[in-house]
Amino acid sequence: MNEKLEAQRRAVTRWILRASIGLAVLFLLVGLELFLFRGGVYFPTAPAGAIHVILRDVVHGMLSLRPSAFLDAGLLVLLFTPLARLLSGVVANARARDWLYAFIGIVVVALVSVGLFAGQAGV
Amino acid sequence: MTPLLTVSLVLAGGLFAGFIGALTGLGGGLVIVPLLTLVLHLPVQQAVGVSLLGVIATSVGAAPRFVGTGLSNVRLALVLQVAASSGALLGALAAHSIKSQVLFMVFGAVMLYSAVMSLRPGHHDSRGAPESSPLAERLRLGSHYREGHIWVDYKVAGVVPAFGVMLGAGLLSAMLGIGSGVFKVLAMDRLMRLPFKVSTATSNFMIGITAATSAGYYLSRGDVPPLVAGPVVLGVLAGAYLGGHAVHHLPARLLRRVFAVVLMGVALEMLYKGFVP
Repeated sequence: MNEKLEAQRRAVTRWILRASIGLAVLFLLVGLELFLFRGGVYFPTAPAGAIHVILRDVVHGMLSLRPSAFLDAGLLVLLFTPLARLLSGVVANARARDWLYAFIGIVVVALVSVGLFAGQAGV
Repeated sequence: MTPLLTVSLVLAGGLFAGFIGALTGLGGGLVIVPLLTLVLHLPVQQAVGVSLLGVIATSVGAAPRFVGTGLSNVRLALVLQVAASSGALLGALAAHSIKSQVLFMVFGAVMLYSAVMSLRPGHHDSRGAPESSPLAERLRLGSHYREGHIWVDYKVAGVVPAFGVMLGAGLLSAMLGIGSGVFKVLAMDRLMRLPFKVSTATSNFMIGITAATSAGYYLSRGDVPPLVAGPVVLGVLAGAYLGGHAVHHLPARLLRRVFAVVLMGVALEMLYKGFVP
């Protein structure tokens, strides 16, 4: 892989990592603040079901300032960070025409995605 | 226990887990799962689901410092990750099909093993394998990393046996909510003969992906309560940050020994809970 592509790859990886840590911490802190502000007297239920249903509920919850939705959003950002890093690696390998590692990257992305979809199916 | 007390307790637990993990290298899952099951009496699957998010936080939080150093061998990580993620899927399924007592017993045994292994003197090979194996050669797994101003080349051996160990490491990680870094580093140190710094950094990259593979499963099953997982993640991130800065000022070796002995005690408690529910 040439130097320019390698430097781009490093910059994208750093950006993904910093942005997701920042965003996750922000959502979690807002969630905890809202929870404490509202008295902190109940245990919110855990999200469950298909991942797209969870994502939709979380977005709706955030729009109505539900504390647990912000906590869930922070956790989801964190959960998707390794996947985002993997996907950026697949793109970088494809751009460098390293097809073997682009393919292995896709296999790993597929395995991580199975985890997200197998649980909802109640397997 | 009131929600406020729960939040305070798990925040402190996450902080401690992240701090001690950064100092001693013994992962946060070994602290978080016993805390949530033995103290807060959470179902073991929920404790594992929460802990997996803590493991991802540890991995993602530590990752930026490895980027650009060449220490994290991404090609090697991807090859081994096929095994680790497959193991993680099997582990997540297993954790939801077998009895909780069995999980406690396996957790206690793995914890005991991790603590004992951490007390043994380390065998740190800084030069790596003398020759790459034919498979490693074909997969271009040998690489180089930066040591000060120079780049050090290294070779890789034992790909197939390490692949097998990774399958087991992924399985244990998903069943027990731990990073199983101790098994990953073992496979990379002993079997593949990677330089120690490379195996640590590569393992950190893999731990996050392995945990994400099974954490998605736990989340969809409703095993990640936000009021517990949120503070744990915040605590782990803050603790790891503080631990990373304190590591040069504290007697990390002594702490590691003391902590290993404490872990052995907790491991026995987990085993006891497995036998006498």
